[in-house]
Amino acid sequence: MGEQIAFGLTAAGIVGCALLVVLLKNAFQAAVALIGTLVSVAILFVLQHAPFVAFVQIIVYAGAIVTLFLFVLAYLGERALSDPDRLEHFEVFSWITILVITAMGAIVMFTTALPNFHTVPETTEDIGSPTALGFAFLREHLLPFEATSLVLLVGAVGAVVLAKRAVMAEGGR
Amino acid sequence: MIGTLGWIVLGLPLLGALVLMAFGAKEPPKRVTQLVGCGSIGLAFLATVVAFFSMLSEHAEERTHVSRLWEWIDIGQGLKVDLAIRIDQLSIMMMLVITGVGFLIHLYSTEYMAHEDGYRRFFAEMNFFVFSMLLLVEAANFVFLIVGWALVGLASYLLIGFYYDRPVAVAAAKKAFVINVLGDIGMVIACFLLVRELGTLDYDQVFALAPQFIPAGGGVALSIALLLFVGAMAKSAQAPLHTWLPDAMEGPTPVSALIHAATMVTAGVYLVVRTHVLFELSPLAMNIVAGVGAFTLLMAATIAIAQVDIKRVLAWSTVSQIGYMIMATGLGAYASGMFHFLTHAFFKALLFLTAGIIIHALHGEQSLDKMGALRKPLRFAYFAFATGCLAIAGVPGFSGFFSKDEIISMAAAQGTYGWVLFGVSTLGAFLTAFYMFRLLLRVFHGTEPEGGYHGEFHMSGAAMTVPVAILTVLSIIGGWIQVPFGWKKVTDWLEPVVGGIPQKVNADGTLTAVGHVAAEPSHNLEVITISASLAVALLGILLAWYIFANGPERRLRISARHPHLRSFLEDAWRFDEVYDETVVLAGRASGDGLRDHVEPKVVIGAGRGVQELFSDMARFMHQIQSGLVRTYAVALMAGLAAVAVIFILVSR
Amino acid sequence: MNALAHAAAVTGVPHSSYIGLSVLLFAIGLFGVARRRNPLLLLLSVELLLNAANVALIGFSRYWNNSDGQIFALVVMVVAAAEVVIGLGLVVAVFRQRRALDVDEMTELRG
Repeated sequence: MGEQIAFGLTAAGIVGCALLVVLLKNAFQAAVALIGTLVSVAILFVLQHAPFVAFVQIIVYAGAIVTLFLFVLAYLGERALSDPDRLEHFEVFSWITILVITAMGAIVMFTTALPNFHTVPETTEDIGSPTALGFAFLREHLLPFEATSLVLLVGAVGAVVLAKRAVMAEGGR
Repeated sequence: MIGTLGWIVLGLPLLGALVLMAFGAKEPPKRVTQLVGCGSIGLAFLATVVAFFSMLSEHAEERTHVSRLWEWIDIGQGLKVDLAIRIDQLSIMMMLVITGVGFLIHLYSTEYMAHEDGYRRFFAEMNFFVFSMLLLVEAANFVFLIVGWALVGLASYLLIGFYYDRPVAVAAAKKAFVINVLGDIGMVIACFLLVRELGTLDYDQVFALAPQFIPAGGGVALSIALLLFVGAMAKSAQAPLHTWLPDAMEGPTPVSALIHAATMVTAGVYLVVRTHVLFELSPLAMNIVAGVGAFTLLMAATIAIAQVDIKRVLAWSTVSQIGYMIMATGLGAYASGMFHFLTHAFFKALLFLTAGIIIHALHGEQSLDKMGALRKPLRFAYFAFATGCLAIAGVPGFSGFFSKDEIISMAAAQGTYGWVLFGVSTLGAFLTAFYMFRLLLRVFHGTEPEGGYHGEFHMSGAAMTVPVAILTVLSIIGGWIQVPFGWKKVTDWLEPVVGGIPQKVNADGTLTAVGHVAAEPSHNLEVITISASLAVALLGILLAWYIFANGPERRLRISARHPHLRSFLEDAWRFDEVYDETVVLAGRASGDGLRDHVEPKVVIGAGRGVQELFSDMARFMHQIQSGLVRTYAVALMAGLAAVAVIFILVSR
Repeated sequence: MNALAHAAAVTGVPHSSYIGLSVLLFAIGLFGVARRRNPLLLLLSVELLLNAANVALIGFSRYWNNSDGQIFALVVMVVAAAEVVIGLGLVVAVFRQRRALDVDEMTELRG
């Protein structure tokens, strides 16, 4: 029963906060709502025998990414949008697309041929501990691991270049 | 050693051509051109002679040298083409003539062409021709043969059109090129068939495999032989693809002597001899070859009687003499054909070069009507020309006698069909003697043309007379290497290449001969045929003497009596007119039709359609490319949805 | 359905629930990407999409009983971090030039 209750609460948190993120007019409030989603997802990860990923989720997302968002929001401030929305007549396409993709997900889920998909999983192996992930990374997935570091490096360099250019555009050095 | 020499022989003229071409528009000093142009050919000749003598010291069976540089093309499926040359008895014989006669003609040209523009261009193209021709005869596989074949066609085109400011010369060059390409197509298709049947194009392999895998007398053998022969017909000006050769006389006279008399036009003979295994697989093809040769020799001989341009007479005579060679190869008398090729190269080059001296002396005049009684002023040319005439007419002791009579005797020995060919070729011999002495007598005897000659004769210097003198000597003694009832040096020499019958290995290991060997004429038969051809030759000379020796009255009277026959012969049996009516008019009509009806609708219409399609597309794209990022995002999502739908529908 | 499985179904949460949650979160993220005009909120919505993918990855990691899905989830997080850094950098740079926070205003790449 415990897992069911926990899942129900986190699922409600995830969906509710996500809806707030996309619906709230105020960007700052939306960013705060995102924290709720991310934390809920982290709890979900714990339920899923992935404690390490859950911690990383909290540290990287809630700790770093959202903080960055909030910082930029504070820096830029709130801006009025130029009304009206020029893409009003496109809205129907986005709705259709969203519904189709959701429907597809539902169809796949209910008709899937995967065995035991609709039953409760039996976790027998250690799949989520730092030890297990460390072995997996360094034994089987070394290439993605190294590629990841490269992506981070590129991101860092890109951020520095953009920041530098922005400073120079304002007359600084 | 001999292989290396073969590459050197091949490389020198190419080097010469490249060096001369490298001067570009800048005309180098004449000395340089002469040195490079003649030097390369002369050195090539020396190398050939060295190769020839070292070949003489070898055992007869070991005289074939294949020198392979590297693998040139690997098409897969086992079809490989090597960059390789093959020097054997047959190719060295061709090489000796090409470089030897070629050198003499180059030497001659240094003076003959001295007053022409494009001196460097002439020698560059001549060297290029010699290179191409050597490539043709030295090739060790069919691919190189075709490359050389096409390159000599190109050289011939360039040199016929040497005076490119004369529309006639340009038209003649185009005609030669087009007809030669017809032949190339035949050869290429023949090679396709060889690849399909045998999977190789290497001479050794083809000739070894062909008797085993191509059924003798079958349709494939006939197709291959006839398609190859189409190439030979086009290059060697055999009916009905002969019409380009007389027109090719628009080129400079040394070109006519080298390319359109001595060497290139005999490439067809070389081809048949080289690929004789393929021809022997199909007796019908052999008979067709012999028949075409016989028809051509007779037809060209009759036409030569009525021509008034000195070079055209010689051109038709060339067509006729190659007809003899082709007929000999068709009979299986390959050595006889090659022997006639050898002597013909001497005396026909001699005749052309002497004609060049005459034309030179008369400041470019080529019409027989403007000549006559030149015996005294041009004494040297007279003797040289007379020697050539005696040789080609087959007067005993001169080279043409030995080679031509051998062909005629061989024809007589080949059964009923052979007797028909014997009759035709004997008649041809009579006509040959007649038209050659007509030419001789009209130029050197008779009376001066009306109004006499204007100005001084332009006398030739040593560079022109020495080659002519050498060729005169060769025309006399050249035939003595193969004497009836005596010795047969050419036949013995070529025996390892052309002798023997292709043999098929049966399943039980026994051998079956396919094809046939030409029967040797018996002693008595040879006596009879030689007497006969000798008699008709003398008859022809006497008839010519009767009509032409004393001024134009008698000849005009006779030709006035047969105006239709005369114009028919003068128009060369009206082959050109027939081609105009059938091929050219039809081609032009179809071209006009396509231009008026197909092009505006299909071609231009399609172009417009495509253009409109694209501008419509561009207009549509322009609207989509709004720059609004969110529409892109929605489009991306829609694509994702579409892919998901497809996945689900497919996986169901 | 045997007794044991039935008991598990009572006490636990089936796989399909996690995957269904992932689909739902993805749909919400899509809505955000399609409807928000503020570039910062667009990026927030992209984060939702990435999280939806992560939820599915973790769910399948458990389903197959091995760590591969978690490994990929971590890689996705790294990509997300890099994307946010670059994305926010661009937003700030554009803002300094245009003084606007509306993706519909940025149409220089119009065809």
